[in-house]
Amino acid sequence: MTLTDTTEVARSSAENMHYMPAQLTIPYTLTPGQATGIFIAELVNKRLLGSRHGDEIIVPAQDFSGSTGEPASGFVEVAPVGEVQAFTTNAKGTLGLVLIDGTTTPFLHKLVGFEPGSLEIGTRVAAIWSESPTGNSVLDLAGFGPIGEAGTFEPKSDPEGLAEPIEQIDYTMTLDFKHAYGAYYGTLFDGVETGRRIRGSKCSKCRRVLLPPRAVCDSCFAPATEWADVADTGTIQASSVVHIEFLGQRKQPPYVYAEIVLDGASTRLIHIVGDVDAERAKTAAAPGARVRAVWSDQHTGSLGDIEHFELIEE
Amino acid sequence: MTQVAIVGTGQTVHARRRTDVSQAGLAREAVVEALNDAGLTMDDIDSIVVASGPAMFGSVNQPEKWLVDALGARYKPVVRVTSGGGTGLAGALAAVNQIKGGSARRVLVVAYDKLSEGPLQANISTLYDPFWGREFAVGIMGFSAAYWHARMKRLGHTEEAAAMVSVKNRHNSMLNPKAHVKREVTVEEVLASRPLCWPIKILDVPPISDGACAVILAADADAEAITPTPAWIHGISYVGEADNAPDRSMLQSEPLQIAAMKVYKEAGITNPFRQFDVAELQEPYTCFELSYYEGLGFCPEGGAAELIASGETTMEGSLPVNPSGGCMGANPIGATALIRLAEVAMQVTGKAGAHQVKGAQRGVAQAGGGWANLRGVAVVGAEKR
Repeated sequence: MTLTDTTEVARSSAENMHYMPAQLTIPYTLTPGQATGIFIAELVNKRLLGSRHGDEIIVPAQDFSGSTGEPASGFVEVAPVGEVQAFTTNAKGTLGLVLIDGTTTPFLHKLVGFEPGSLEIGTRVAAIWSESPTGNSVLDLAGFGPIGEAGTFEPKSDPEGLAEPIEQIDYTMTLDFKHAYGAYYGTLFDGVETGRRIRGSKCSKCRRVLLPPRAVCDSCFAPATEWADVADTGTIQASSVVHIEFLGQRKQPPYVYAEIVLDGASTRLIHIVGDVDAERAKTAAAPGARVRAVWSDQHTGSLGDIEHFELIEE
Repeated sequence: MTQVAIVGTGQTVHARRRTDVSQAGLAREAVVEALNDAGLTMDDIDSIVVASGPAMFGSVNQPEKWLVDALGARYKPVVRVTSGGGTGLAGALAAVNQIKGGSARRVLVVAYDKLSEGPLQANISTLYDPFWGREFAVGIMGFSAAYWHARMKRLGHTEEAAAMVSVKNRHNSMLNPKAHVKREVTVEEVLASRPLCWPIKILDVPPISDGACAVILAADADAEAITPTPAWIHGISYVGEADNAPDRSMLQSEPLQIAAMKVYKEAGITNPFRQFDVAELQEPYTCFELSYYEGLGFCPEGGAAELIASGETTMEGSLPVNPSGGCMGANPIGATALIRLAEVAMQVTGKAGAHQVKGAQRGVAQAGGGWANLRGVAVVGAEKR
C-alpha cells in the first residue's frame, strides 16, 4: 500500500474530523509593577493617576517613559475627563483612544453610553466608574461615557495618600486551537480509532519505521513512501516515576512516565505505565522492560485511546 | 578576523517572586547594571537582542515590544530570540553575528523570564506536539528523569553522583550575591529528599526564579575603547537536532558534542580539562551537569561520576564548574544561559568577587534546552586571539 492510497481517507470526510480541537487554560499571577500597581489600586477611590516624565504625563501611570526609558519622576492626579482621539466599533462595543486632559499619551479604553452616530473624533468624555469594583482590575474604570456635568482640573502633582501598589493580579488565559491532523496523523489516528491499528511510515532509504508517520525521514531526508504496521507492544527506552502534581495532569500520581519504542518502530512514543507500585517501578518499569498497550473503551482517535501500558511480566 | 568581546554584564536581584517590578522593569534592572558596568548609555547601543523563554511563561506575546519603553530602546533595532533553556546564549550568538556581519557595533543582549507568573511545568508541556506526547508530558522533568534513569546503568550517572553536583553548586551559591537560594546540603539530604520524578528529587532541582541578565558586546577597537578588560569570545556555537528522529539513544547529546567540537577548533582547545580555568554549565537538574562533563570532553564517556567524586570540579579543584552555583542558586530560564556566559566573562576579567576563581584566564559557558536537542557552547578568554 502506498501513502497516497490511504491519505485521501484521512480522518473521514466529516469537516470536524480534520481538526483536533484543543483548549489551553492557563492561570497566571501577573505583576503590574509599581506605577501601574498604584494606578489600579486607586481606581476604587475614583482617582485617575498619571506618571510624570519631564514634560510628559502618561495615564495609566507607567514606571518608565517610552520616549527615554527613564523612570517616572513622580505621580500626578488627573481629571477623569478627556477627548476622543480615535475609536472603532464592533458587535461587542466601542473602543477608543482617550487623551485625558493635561496628558500627552492617549489611553485605550471602552467608550460606553453613546447613541449610534453621536460619537466623533474630539467628543469630550468622562470616566464611568464600575459599580462593583474588584480592586485589582483596570475595569474598575468601566470606560468613558458622555461628559455630562463633569468638570476638569489641571493635573495635581504629588497627590497625597496614594494607595499601596497592587503586587499581583490573577489572570487566566484561555486559548482555543484547532490542530489540523494532516494526511499522516489523520491516517494514523483513523486506524487507531476504528481498528486499534498503529501505523508508521517507512523510510525508502534506511527502511526504518517512523512513528508518528511523516513524509520524510529525519535522518536520511529520504521520502517515507510506505505504511508499516507497528505492534501495540514495545520496550521502555526511558522511564521515571512521577510524584509531582501539576495542572492538566491526566492521572493521579504516582505513575510511570515512559518513552516506549513499539515493536516495529524506530522512534519513541510518550505514554504512561499503569498498575505498578512506585517503588517496584524503579526496577520493574526500568529501561529495557517490555510493555503492552491497554486500550481504553473510548474511541477518540488519539494516543489517549491507549489507557496506559502494562508490564509484560516475564 | 573580527574578534567580539563582552564589555559589560548585569544581573537582577533574582528571587522566587519579584512583586516590585513588572516583566519590563525586571529586564531594565539588568540592563542598567550592564550599562553601568560598561560605562555606556542607551545612546551608545546600536541594536538590542531580547532573549526570553516561551511566551506562555509570562502570558505576554511579543514581549520585546513591551520592553522597548522600559529599556529606552525606541527607534533602535530590537529583535527577540527564543530557543528553549539555552535562549540566553542563542541571544548572545545573534548579537555576535550582528557585529561580525557589520550591522551593529555595540549590541545589548537582555535575557529574562519572570517564572513566578505562570504554571511552569504545564507551560513547558505546551512545547510538545499536541498529537504526540503533550497529553502525557510532565514538562521537561518527566523526560529528563526518564533519560537520566536510562543513563544510570550505561554511564554510571548514579543518584549519588548527581547529589554531589547539588552539594557542590549549592555550596558555591553561598558566595554569589546574585543567588537567591542559599542553603548548603549534604549528599545524604539530597538522596533522602522528596522525589518529584524519580530519580529526580527536589534537591536535584533548582529554584524557579524571576530574573534577568544583560550583556553588552563590541568588537576589536570598540571593545578596547569601552573597557581595559574585554572578555574575548574565542568561539560560540548553538546546535539543534530533530526531536523525534529515529534511533535517538539520548545517552549523549550530539548537538553538545558538535557545538563543542566546532567551538574548540575555533578557540584552539585540544584538552578542555587542562585548558579551561573555569566552567559555567547550565544544569536544570543535577543529572545534566554529569552529562555535560562528558559532552564537553572534560572526561571520557562514562567518566562523569568519577570526575565529580574526585573534587576536581569544586572551587578547590583544577577545573571549578559553576563557581556561581549554577542554576541551583537561581534559575530564571530565559536568562539562565546568558548568566552562564556573563559569569565566565566576569571570571576571566577578575570581576567575580567572592566567587572568583583565582587567576582564571579562559573558561567555557554551556547552555542547553531540552534533554539533548539544543546545545550552545562559548569559550571566553582574557586574551585576544
